[in-house]
Amino acid sequence: MRESKIMLLQYLTGLFILVLGTFHMLLLSVLAPTSNKVLYQYASTNHTLIGGTLYYSTVTAIYHTLLWGSIFELLLTFLVFHIFNGFRIILSEQFPGAKAEKVITYSMLILGLVIFIWGSRTIVLMLLQGGI
Amino acid sequence: MAIENKKGWISWFNPIKYGFDRWLFAMHRFTGIVIGLYLMAHVFETSNILRGPLTWNNVMVFLDWPFGIHFGPYILSALLLVVVFHALNGLRLTIVENGLMLVRPYRPEYPYKPKSLAGWNFALKIVLGILMIVISVFGIVYIFTGVIL
Repeated sequence: MRESKIMLLQYLTGLFILVLGTFHMLLLSVLAPTSNKVLYQYASTNHTLIGGTLYYSTVTAIYHTLLWGSIFELLLTFLVFHIFNGFRIILSEQFPGAKAEKVITYSMLILGLVIFIWGSRTIVLMLLQGGI
Repeated sequence: MAIENKKGWISWFNPIKYGFDRWLFAMHRFTGIVIGLYLMAHVFETSNILRGPLTWNNVMVFLDWPFGIHFGPYILSALLLVVVFHALNGLRLTIVENGLMLVRPYRPEYPYKPKSLAGWNFALKIVLGILMIVISVFGIVYIFTGVIL
Protein backbone atom coordinates (compact mmCIF):
# COMPACT_ATOMS: atom_id res chain seq x y z
CA MET A 1 0.00 0.00 0.00
CA ARG A 2 1.23 3.52 -0.77
CA GLU A 3 2.54 5.54 2.17
CA SER A 4 0.06 8.36 1.44
CA LYS A 5 -2.87 5.92 1.83
CA ILE A 6 -1.38 4.45 5.01
CA MET A 7 -1.01 7.99 6.40
CA LEU A 8 -4.64 8.75 5.52
CA LEU A 9 -5.64 5.62 7.46
CA GLN A 10 -3.44 6.80 10.34
CA TYR A 11 -5.40 10.09 10.49
CA LEU A 12 -8.80 8.37 10.15
CA THR A 13 -8.09 5.74 12.81
CA GLY A 14 -6.83 8.53 15.07
CA LEU A 15 -10.16 10.36 14.74
CA PHE A 16 -12.16 7.17 15.37
CA ILE A 17 -10.00 6.41 18.44
CA LEU A 18 -10.72 9.92 19.74
CA VAL A 19 -14.49 9.27 19.59
CA LEU A 20 -14.50 5.63 20.77
CA GLY A 21 -11.79 6.31 23.39
CA THR A 22 -13.99 9.06 24.86
CA PHE A 23 -16.80 6.50 25.27
CA HIS A 24 -14.29 4.13 26.91
CA MET A 25 -13.33 6.84 29.44
CA LEU A 26 -16.99 7.73 30.08
CA LEU A 27 -17.78 4.05 30.71
CA LEU A 28 -15.25 4.09 33.54
CA SER A 29 -16.95 7.10 35.12
CA VAL A 30 -20.25 8.76 34.18
CA LEU A 31 -21.77 5.84 32.21
CA ALA A 32 -20.58 3.04 34.55
CA PRO A 33 -23.51 0.73 35.43
CA THR A 34 -23.14 1.23 39.17
CA SER A 35 -24.56 3.71 41.67
CA ASN A 36 -21.13 4.44 43.17
CA LYS A 37 -19.05 6.12 40.44
CA VAL A 38 -15.65 5.95 42.20
CA LEU A 39 -12.99 3.80 40.52
CA TYR A 40 -12.27 1.74 43.63
CA GLN A 41 -14.60 1.25 46.60
CA TYR A 42 -12.80 -0.54 49.44
CA ALA A 43 -14.04 -2.18 52.62
CA SER A 44 -13.44 0.13 55.58
CA THR A 45 -11.11 -2.30 57.34
CA ASN A 46 -8.76 -3.52 54.59
CA HIS A 47 -7.90 -3.36 50.88
CA THR A 48 -10.76 -5.60 49.78
CA LEU A 49 -12.59 -4.28 46.74
CA ILE A 50 -16.35 -4.17 47.41
CA GLY A 51 -17.56 -1.87 44.60
CA GLY A 52 -16.74 0.93 42.19
CA THR A 53 -16.52 1.22 38.44
CA LEU A 54 -13.58 -1.23 38.23
CA TYR A 55 -15.30 -3.86 40.41
CA TYR A 56 -15.72 -7.26 38.69
CA SER A 57 -19.53 -7.21 38.37
CA THR A 58 -19.53 -3.62 37.03
CA VAL A 59 -16.93 -4.42 34.38
CA THR A 60 -18.59 -7.69 33.34
CA ALA A 61 -21.96 -5.91 33.02
CA ILE A 62 -20.31 -3.70 30.38
CA TYR A 63 -18.47 -6.54 28.63
CA HIS A 64 -21.62 -8.67 28.36
CA THR A 65 -23.42 -5.96 26.35
CA LEU A 66 -23.22 -6.44 22.57
CA LEU A 67 -23.11 -2.68 21.92
CA TRP A 68 -20.15 -2.04 24.24
CA GLY A 69 -18.43 -5.28 23.17
CA SER A 70 -18.64 -4.13 19.54
CA ILE A 71 -17.35 -0.67 20.46
CA PHE A 72 -14.38 -2.24 22.34
CA GLU A 73 -13.62 -4.47 19.34
CA LEU A 74 -13.68 -1.50 16.96
CA LEU A 75 -11.54 0.55 19.35
CA LEU A 76 -9.03 -2.30 19.62
CA THR A 77 -8.87 -2.65 15.81
CA PHE A 78 -8.25 1.07 15.26
CA LEU A 79 -5.77 1.25 18.16
CA VAL A 80 -3.72 -1.72 16.95
CA PHE A 81 -3.43 -0.22 13.45
CA HIS A 82 -2.68 3.31 14.70
CA ILE A 83 -0.11 2.26 17.31
CA PHE A 84 1.81 -0.35 15.34
CA ASN A 85 1.85 1.81 12.22
CA GLY A 86 3.19 4.62 14.44
CA PHE A 87 5.87 2.29 15.79
CA ARG A 88 6.72 1.27 12.21
CA ILE A 89 7.16 4.91 11.16
CA ILE A 90 9.37 5.74 14.17
CA LEU A 91 11.50 2.61 13.82
CA SER A 92 11.85 3.05 10.04
CA GLU A 93 13.24 6.54 10.66
CA GLN A 94 15.67 5.25 13.27
CA PHE A 95 16.87 2.35 11.10
CA PRO A 96 16.65 3.50 7.49
CA GLY A 97 17.07 1.18 4.52
CA ALA A 98 14.90 -1.18 2.48
CA LYS A 99 15.92 -4.36 4.34
CA ALA A 100 15.43 -2.83 7.78
CA GLU A 101 12.05 -1.44 6.73
CA LYS A 102 10.89 -4.90 5.64
CA VAL A 103 11.98 -6.45 8.94
CA ILE A 104 10.30 -3.65 10.93
CA THR A 105 7.04 -3.84 8.92
CA TYR A 106 6.68 -7.61 9.35
CA SER A 107 7.68 -7.47 13.05
CA MET A 108 5.04 -4.82 13.72
CA LEU A 109 2.47 -6.78 11.73
CA ILE A 110 3.08 -9.95 13.79
CA LEU A 111 3.15 -8.08 17.13
CA GLY A 112 -0.01 -6.17 16.18
CA LEU A 113 -1.79 -9.39 15.24
CA VAL A 114 -0.82 -11.02 18.57
CA ILE A 115 -2.23 -8.06 20.54
CA PHE A 116 -5.34 -7.92 18.34
CA ILE A 117 -6.06 -11.65 18.72
CA TRP A 118 -5.41 -11.58 22.49
CA GLY A 119 -7.66 -8.57 23.01
CA SER A 120 -10.39 -9.90 20.72
CA ARG A 121 -10.31 -13.22 22.57
CA THR A 122 -11.14 -11.41 25.85
CA ILE A 123 -13.94 -9.37 24.25
CA VAL A 124 -15.53 -12.33 22.42
CA LEU A 125 -15.31 -14.74 25.38
CA MET A 126 -16.82 -12.11 27.68
CA LEU A 127 -19.61 -11.47 25.17
CA LEU A 128 -20.32 -15.19 25.23
CA GLN A 129 -20.29 -14.89 29.06
CA GLY A 130 -17.55 -17.48 29.13
CA GLY A 131 -14.26 -17.81 30.92
CA ILE A 132 -11.35 -20.19 31.23
CA MET B 1 24.91 3.71 -0.62
CA ALA B 2 23.56 2.98 2.86
CA ILE B 3 21.35 5.65 4.37
CA GLU B 4 22.32 6.67 7.89
CA ASN B 5 20.37 8.32 10.66
CA LYS B 6 23.32 9.48 12.76
CA LYS B 7 21.47 11.52 15.38
CA GLY B 8 18.56 9.10 15.84
CA TRP B 9 15.91 9.83 18.46
CA ILE B 10 18.16 12.37 20.23
CA SER B 11 17.48 14.74 17.33
CA TRP B 12 13.79 14.82 18.33
CA PHE B 13 14.72 16.86 21.40
CA ASN B 14 16.43 19.98 20.13
CA PRO B 15 14.31 22.94 21.24
CA ILE B 16 17.10 25.51 20.88
CA LYS B 17 17.37 24.93 17.18
CA TYR B 18 13.73 24.28 16.33
CA GLY B 19 11.44 25.82 18.95
CA PHE B 20 7.96 25.01 20.32
CA ASP B 21 6.59 22.98 17.41
CA ARG B 22 9.61 20.70 17.62
CA TRP B 23 8.73 20.07 21.27
CA LEU B 24 5.18 19.21 20.25
CA PHE B 25 6.58 16.80 17.66
CA ALA B 26 8.91 15.16 20.20
CA MET B 27 6.20 14.93 22.85
CA HIS B 28 3.75 13.46 20.33
CA ARG B 29 6.22 10.68 19.54
CA PHE B 30 7.13 10.11 23.19
CA THR B 31 3.48 9.97 24.32
CA GLY B 32 2.66 7.70 21.36
CA ILE B 33 5.32 5.21 22.46
CA VAL B 34 4.07 5.34 26.07
CA ILE B 35 0.45 4.74 24.96
CA GLY B 36 1.56 1.90 22.67
CA LEU B 37 3.41 0.14 25.46
CA TYR B 38 0.47 0.76 27.81
CA LEU B 39 -1.99 -0.77 25.28
CA MET B 40 0.04 -3.99 25.19
CA ALA B 41 0.07 -4.19 29.00
CA HIS B 42 -3.63 -3.19 29.15
CA VAL B 43 -4.71 -5.96 26.75
CA PHE B 44 -2.95 -8.61 28.85
CA GLU B 45 -4.11 -7.05 32.15
CA THR B 46 -7.80 -6.95 31.13
CA SER B 47 -7.67 -10.58 29.94
CA ASN B 48 -7.58 -11.45 33.68
CA ILE B 49 -11.32 -10.83 33.74
CA LEU B 50 -11.73 -14.28 32.18
CA ARG B 51 -10.17 -15.81 35.32
CA GLY B 52 -13.08 -14.81 37.53
CA PRO B 53 -13.94 -12.21 40.19
CA LEU B 54 -11.25 -13.09 42.74
CA THR B 55 -8.34 -12.76 40.27
CA TRP B 56 -9.79 -9.63 38.64
CA ASN B 57 -10.40 -7.80 41.91
CA ASN B 58 -6.94 -8.80 43.20
CA VAL B 59 -5.31 -7.49 40.01
CA MET B 60 -7.24 -4.21 40.35
CA VAL B 61 -6.17 -3.81 44.00
CA PHE B 62 -2.55 -4.62 43.10
CA LEU B 63 -2.59 -1.97 40.34
CA ASP B 64 -4.08 0.58 42.78
CA TRP B 65 -1.64 -0.40 45.57
CA PRO B 66 1.46 -1.70 43.78
CA PHE B 67 3.81 -3.24 46.37
CA GLY B 68 1.64 -1.88 49.18
CA ILE B 69 1.99 1.79 48.15
CA HIS B 70 -1.11 3.74 47.06
CA PHE B 71 0.34 4.76 43.70
CA GLY B 72 -2.59 3.89 41.37
CA PRO B 73 -4.12 7.40 41.11
CA TYR B 74 -0.73 8.92 40.24
CA ILE B 75 -0.15 6.36 37.47
CA LEU B 76 -3.68 6.89 36.10
CA SER B 77 -3.28 10.69 36.22
CA ALA B 78 0.03 10.52 34.36
CA LEU B 79 -1.57 8.23 31.80
CA LEU B 80 -4.52 10.61 31.41
CA LEU B 81 -2.15 13.55 30.74
CA VAL B 82 -0.25 11.50 28.16
CA VAL B 83 -3.46 10.37 26.42
CA VAL B 84 -5.10 13.82 26.42
CA PHE B 85 -1.95 15.46 25.03
CA HIS B 86 -1.54 12.85 22.29
CA ALA B 87 -5.24 12.98 21.35
CA LEU B 88 -5.53 16.76 21.13
CA ASN B 89 -2.14 17.27 19.46
CA GLY B 90 -3.07 14.48 17.06
CA LEU B 91 -6.29 16.33 16.25
CA ARG B 92 -4.23 19.47 15.54
CA LEU B 93 -1.85 17.50 13.32
CA THR B 94 -4.76 15.95 11.41
CA ILE B 95 -6.12 19.44 10.74
CA VAL B 96 -2.90 21.23 9.76
CA GLU B 97 -1.14 18.36 7.97
CA ASN B 98 -4.14 18.13 5.65
CA GLY B 99 -3.68 21.79 4.76
CA LEU B 100 -6.53 23.21 6.85
CA MET B 101 -6.21 26.36 9.01
CA LEU B 102 -2.97 27.34 7.26
CA VAL B 103 -2.08 30.48 5.30
CA ARG B 104 -1.99 30.41 1.49
CA PRO B 105 1.43 29.55 -0.03
CA TYR B 106 3.69 32.64 -0.23
CA ARG B 107 7.19 33.61 -1.35
CA PRO B 108 9.70 33.28 1.54
CA GLU B 109 11.11 36.68 2.46
CA TYR B 110 13.61 37.85 5.04
CA PRO B 111 13.57 37.28 8.09
CA TYR B 112 11.87 34.00 7.00
CA LYS B 113 9.42 33.78 9.90
CA PRO B 114 6.99 30.97 8.98
CA LYS B 115 3.51 32.46 8.59
CA SER B 116 2.09 28.94 8.73
CA LEU B 117 2.73 28.84 12.49
CA ALA B 118 0.74 32.03 13.13
CA GLY B 119 -2.93 32.89 12.60
CA TRP B 120 -5.50 30.08 12.79
CA ASN B 121 -2.80 27.50 13.48
CA PHE B 122 -1.66 29.45 16.54
CA ALA B 123 -5.27 29.95 17.69
CA LEU B 124 -5.85 26.21 17.35
CA LYS B 125 -2.89 25.51 19.64
CA ILE B 126 -4.26 27.91 22.26
CA VAL B 127 -7.80 26.44 22.13
CA LEU B 128 -6.59 22.83 22.28
CA GLY B 129 -4.12 23.75 25.05
CA ILE B 130 -6.96 25.19 27.16
CA LEU B 131 -9.10 22.12 26.39
CA MET B 132 -6.23 19.88 27.48
CA ILE B 133 -5.98 21.67 30.83
CA VAL B 134 -9.77 21.51 31.41
CA ILE B 135 -10.07 17.79 30.54
CA SER B 136 -7.00 16.97 32.64
CA VAL B 137 -8.35 18.81 35.69
CA PHE B 138 -11.76 17.09 35.41
CA GLY B 139 -10.08 13.71 34.95
CA ILE B 140 -7.55 14.03 37.77
CA VAL B 141 -10.19 15.27 40.22
CA TYR B 142 -12.31 12.24 39.29
CA ILE B 143 -9.40 9.79 39.61
CA PHE B 144 -8.43 11.02 43.09
CA THR B 145 -11.89 11.73 44.55
CA GLY B 146 -14.50 9.95 42.43
CA VAL B 147 -16.28 13.29 42.06
CA ILE B 148 -17.62 14.00 38.55
CA LEU B 149 -17.46 17.79 38.09
